[in-house]
Amino acid sequence: MVTVMEIYQLLPKTNCKKCGESTCMAFAVSLLGRKKQVVECTPLLEENFKKQKEKLETILLPCAGAQETGMIVHTELCTGCGNCVVACPVDVANDPHGAGMGCAPTNDKVIFKVIDGKVVASNIKECRRFGKNKVLCYACIDPCPTGAIEFV
Amino acid sequence: MFTCTGCALLCEDIEAIVENNRIKEIRNACRRGAARMKGCMNRLVPSIAQKPADIESSIKKAAQILRNAKSPMLFGFDNSTSEAQIKGIQLARKINAIIDDTSSFCQGILIENILHKKLRTCSLDDIRNKADVLVYWGSDAQDSQPRHLSRFSYFPRGESRQRGYEEDRLAIAIDVRESNTAKICKGHFYRIPLKGDREFILALMEALSGKAPAYDTKNMLGLASILKKAQFGGIFVGIGLTYSIKNDFEILTALADMLPKFNIMPMVGHYNMRGFNEVLFKETGFVNRVRFEGNGVQDNKYAIIEALKNKSIDALVVVGSDPVLSLPRIVIPHLASIPVVCIDPCQTFTSGIATVNIPSAASGVESSGSAVRMDGKVIGLKKILENNYLSDEDIMKRLMEAV
Amino acid sequence: MGIDIGKFLKNPEFEILITTYRDIFQVEALEKDRFGEEYMKLSAVISLSKNDLQKMGFKPGDRVKLSNNYGSVVVEVKESKKNEPGGLAFMINSPWANSLISDETDGKGIPEFKHVKAKISLSKEQITPIVVLIGTFYK
Repeated sequence: MVTVMEIYQLLPKTNCKKCGESTCMAFAVSLLGRKKQVVECTPLLEENFKKQKEKLETILLPCAGAQETGMIVHTELCTGCGNCVVACPVDVANDPHGAGMGCAPTNDKVIFKVIDGKVVASNIKECRRFGKNKVLCYACIDPCPTGAIEFV
Repeated sequence: MFTCTGCALLCEDIEAIVENNRIKEIRNACRRGAARMKGCMNRLVPSIAQKPADIESSIKKAAQILRNAKSPMLFGFDNSTSEAQIKGIQLARKINAIIDDTSSFCQGILIENILHKKLRTCSLDDIRNKADVLVYWGSDAQDSQPRHLSRFSYFPRGESRQRGYEEDRLAIAIDVRESNTAKICKGHFYRIPLKGDREFILALMEALSGKAPAYDTKNMLGLASILKKAQFGGIFVGIGLTYSIKNDFEILTALADMLPKFNIMPMVGHYNMRGFNEVLFKETGFVNRVRFEGNGVQDNKYAIIEALKNKSIDALVVVGSDPVLSLPRIVIPHLASIPVVCIDPCQTFTSGIATVNIPSAASGVESSGSAVRMDGKVIGLKKILENNYLSDEDIMKRLMEAV
Repeated sequence: MGIDIGKFLKNPEFEILITTYRDIFQVEALEKDRFGEEYMKLSAVISLSKNDLQKMGFKPGDRVKLSNNYGSVVVEVKESKKNEPGGLAFMINSPWANSLISDETDGKGIPEFKHVKAKISLSKEQITPIVVLIGTFYK
């Protein structure tokens, strides 16, 4: 789980207030709570902050998932077994002959991908827990042998 | 798409992102497979007497060791392509050597029974398409063959099992501990004591024949009832069960006879162990522990552990295996006292004491060939990276020329 | 009625039964670097149930000496992840476990990898490093 200090370390730390918050620390808290976007810090869009901006976008990704659907993947627990990929009803519907069968995905509409042996969540908004007709779906949690998927 | 060599599932849907002739990213393989495909940190370098040498001299020295030996043994091959295994057997034949693989202290006895058609078996594709009852016995597939349940046995929908694990399949685990696999078989986990498989099987057989066994009556009757209703079942025999019943293996045959709808599937770790067993079986009628003196003769004394215990070999060639890692420490002293030739892509504990080290290509990444999946299906391996390493097959050929 | 010697022994020894198993994270460490810290951290371990830990007076993180007729090693004690009832200890397949495996095979080539009797006691020594386990074989 990314911490507010990890986010803060990547910010300009000038307290310029261009984002609308009084300090960079306050902005870091807003980012963690998904109340603000990285691009609202205009200094980060400059060339000399390119690396920090990219790193921020990467580490804030699981949070993005957590906010919208509450899903977090604990990578250090994941064995890459693919149970969640094939159990996910969205994967079965969107990719019946690929991810829906436990094989490699044949398109990009899947929610779970296995990269370097660990699950990476993508297309989180396709998840049944998101959107107007959301349901409390547990299809990916139950089959996980190590409890690597969590909904917060 | 490439084939993973992490275990004997040989998943063929692996994508590799290559950059600067190195694998930058592996997709779709499990954690174990990804680690295998990306390779180890310490590649083996050619050496003689633990001092760096060029590869030609190392091969020559290895050949010399084999020529001078009265009782040489070739061991390993479970991480080699079938083509390399065939060449290894030819080499053993040429020099009247013993040849053995890790199956002699692993699943050899199970595979032997399957190849002799004493146990009914089927393909993993059949399991996916038809199986409704799955029994993981002494097997923690989730740790050893991680994509077994997601690609084949439990989770996916199949032709006759369109509603997959949710409604069409039942998974049962029988083990001495609650493994990760047992955790998935919620409500159908049977915990048995160590070495308790024989008693369990006898009680189950009683229950299957309509009697109420004294042992764990309620559970046995319940399990028998589930198994009897199965339309197409799979018993996945892990090393836990094999080790437990190794001295009376026919108890499994007896149980299988009472379950005509069930198929016995070996759970194999090394990616081409079954390949070695099949290739040797085709050549000699035996799956392991063979000595060539003209024809191939099988005897327990040719198993690696017996040969080391009895100090009956005087030279050892190790191909893609690490006996100093895997064998009981108490049998290692003899191995350390004889000339050892180690052929491997990586540095291992065995290469650290070997007389000659010959680096080889990592098969499925740096060399191509074929392998046999745990259910007997032949799968092709492709080369992913351009390289200058000799494949196991090449090294066997060179040794044959040089002995 | 005899004297309870156990009361006076500062470092009690217990007989345990060990079985071996495989773990994907340890296999990953093996594939990457079998000489490394991660492999040792995941392998030089014995897992006991909560009940057994209490009975024997060990805490997770303690170092223990395991010994039998075939060898001895010092490893770290952990608590079993799942609810194990006790009476059985678990070690991952590794050179540490292999130090305790007997070579009794009935002449059939298969040792008892999954059925190991050993004595366990608290130890102040370091966890046996791989270089000690294997290094004695180096020429």
